[in-house]
Amino acid sequence: MAEQKWPEKYPIIGRGERKYGTVAAMKIPSIVKADISRIAEAKKQGKPIAYCFIQSNYDEIIRAMDIVPMWTENFAGICAAKRDAQRFLEKAESLGFSRSLCTYATCGIGFDAWREELGQMPPDAPWGGQVRPDVMLSSGQIICDPRYRWYQACQQFQPDVPVYHLDALWPLYENDVDRHEVEGYYVKYLTEDLRGLVKFLEEHLYKKMDWDRLWEIIRLADKTTDLLVECRELRSAVPTPMDTGDAMNTMVAQCFMMGTQEAYEFFRDLRDELKYKVDHKLGIVPEEKYRLIWAGGLPSWFALTDFNYFWSKGAVFPVESTYNELAYSVRELDLPKTSDPLEYMAWRWIRRQTYWWDKARKRPGSEPDVERTINYIEQYKIDGIVVHEAFSCRSWHVGLLWMLNQIAKICRPIPVLTVKGGQKMKTYRELPSLVLESDIVDISSYSEADTRAKIDAFIETLEAVKSQRAEI
Amino acid sequence: MTKVVIMNEEIIASLVRVTTPEQRRLANKVMEEALERANFSFDEITYVVATGYGRINVAFADKQVTEISCHARGVASLIPTVRTIIDIGGQDCKGIKLSAGKVVNFVMNDKCAAGTGRFLEITARALGVKLEEIGKLSLTSRKPVEISSTCTVFAEQEVVTKLAEGIPLSDILAGLHQAIASRILTMVSRVRIEREVVVTGGGAKNVGLVRALESRLGFPVLIPPDPLLTGAIGAALLGRDAAEKAQKEGLPLAKRQRRLEEVELFA
Repeated sequence: MAEQKWPEKYPIIGRGERKYGTVAAMKIPSIVKADISRIAEAKKQGKPIAYCFIQSNYDEIIRAMDIVPMWTENFAGICAAKRDAQRFLEKAESLGFSRSLCTYATCGIGFDAWREELGQMPPDAPWGGQVRPDVMLSSGQIICDPRYRWYQACQQFQPDVPVYHLDALWPLYENDVDRHEVEGYYVKYLTEDLRGLVKFLEEHLYKKMDWDRLWEIIRLADKTTDLLVECRELRSAVPTPMDTGDAMNTMVAQCFMMGTQEAYEFFRDLRDELKYKVDHKLGIVPEEKYRLIWAGGLPSWFALTDFNYFWSKGAVFPVESTYNELAYSVRELDLPKTSDPLEYMAWRWIRRQTYWWDKARKRPGSEPDVERTINYIEQYKIDGIVVHEAFSCRSWHVGLLWMLNQIAKICRPIPVLTVKGGQKMKTYRELPSLVLESDIVDISSYSEADTRAKIDAFIETLEAVKSQRAEI
Repeated sequence: MTKVVIMNEEIIASLVRVTTPEQRRLANKVMEEALERANFSFDEITYVVATGYGRINVAFADKQVTEISCHARGVASLIPTVRTIIDIGGQDCKGIKLSAGKVVNFVMNDKCAAGTGRFLEITARALGVKLEEIGKLSLTSRKPVEISSTCTVFAEQEVVTKLAEGIPLSDILAGLHQAIASRILTMVSRVRIEREVVVTGGGAKNVGLVRALESRLGFPVLIPPDPLLTGAIGAALLGRDAAEKAQKEGLPLAKRQRRLEEVELFA
């Protein structure tokens, strides 16, 4: 492939191992930088700014009310990617926050404490810094307590900034419970919770919700998600035209721009690019040897170049669990008809969160996360599993090893020959897995040499498994 | 430790030397010593495989292979029935799962000294006992004491406190071995331990630790004749495999331009 002529439309624009990355993903850093500047400009113009968390089911509401979102997890990720988070983590630690708390939160808390102390941005704040908000919209869901407590903690330094907490709950999985029997209660609760959010924003920001506009934005976000799903499906091609290294960039358009025309156009362009690359068999690496799944955990934002290292070994990630939790087309969700946009958003949320429930119940030993991963393993022709245990992210961390164990028990796709009693027998074995250990923001938890030694050993394991399979 | 194994059909020479900061740079010196012992010139060596943390510093190697693959190859050649390897080194601890002699899964602790030889080294020093004696001493314990700290630094303080409280040394050492065995097996369990279990590395030479592992596992483990050398033997075998494969296929053996000289390290 290295000698293959790449089209003018999708030229090789990356560097080093990443030179075959998508054109779309390469645009993301400048998009994020421009967005942070735009938020600073909006602040100067007196536009309302809201601290927000990703995947909270309120994106369209914010957009419909012309509120400018400041995505605080994104800002912590930027600090990490620029390797400039330690001073904010240390600031939070000096205030008594433990090092083992969520480092997205402690980075943000440290930054806010410093900004409020100075009355201006901390010196050399990454990309201009995180602006002071007018409201903070927390959303703990069920899984992430920092997203509930973080903004409360920030109120110590900015007590005049009100917080609205959206529960955004969904029924927990029980293999002997039919979710359809209980989902109506959750929808009712969430609809009212969203109504409370609209009222809160109207009262505190003196804005009026335009309900017709909200419907328009919902439709736009749904169309954008359809494109996102199409992109994910296209990545199942061999060779894959895009992998997780790029997806950790394109998640920006998905998580921070949903409900905007820019997000729609971004995924339309990405879909067109992927389609072209699939049709012309243009892969992310010159010679694709191993196909891996990133089966959980947020990445180390300061070490995304580890993906380049995988690529240098011919290992690609055609699919990942991270940030795909809600990426399902409404066409698949069988949503009840309603004229209330908030009720529609509630149904869509619950049905997306429980997307794998019915499928998991049909496979003994499965659960939604396990089921989703097994489906991806089959659809994307996966050779090995990689997860990242970020020490400060309990939400993800807690279930990862259990998930790997369950997958190993019920998904054994590798045929091998074994000898028993002098007889050759064909049996099936689980996929090899790699557990990376570090953090999302705190670089002190990371060793490049150790991480790469593990990756090297994992690649050798994949090769050994491959050679055994080939012997059959 | 820096180890060298030179072999053809059998091991011709082997060597184990302490790895000092200087020796990272001077792997060539250890190689020269091994060559002298084997009575070979460097040019007579068909293929060189380097492994371990320092493998990138071995400028005269034809190939670098991780210690996971080398341990697996080495142990499987010595004990073909092996399914799980527990390698307890000074710097890290590894669990390797094999099927038909090949690696199918692995797990490593490279972040924390607890669960490695360093844990025992530091606490033995704090107790004023020689490292090579602690295993035997621990077996004389009547009532092993519980060491609750999982951090090496705190465990060091804890054992000194217990000694001051008058608890017999053998009970403290037995407690330490149980604590380290517990940490090791918790980690290695991730690859699902199956018999036969082979223990390698410096930890395998500590009879107290081996007993503690067996007690927790509920069955005996196997120890190769020289547990410090299994990785180096594996590297030599992988080198021989590469040479034999090239010969069988009538292809030239892919070699690097070798230099048996010290390497220049950049900060």
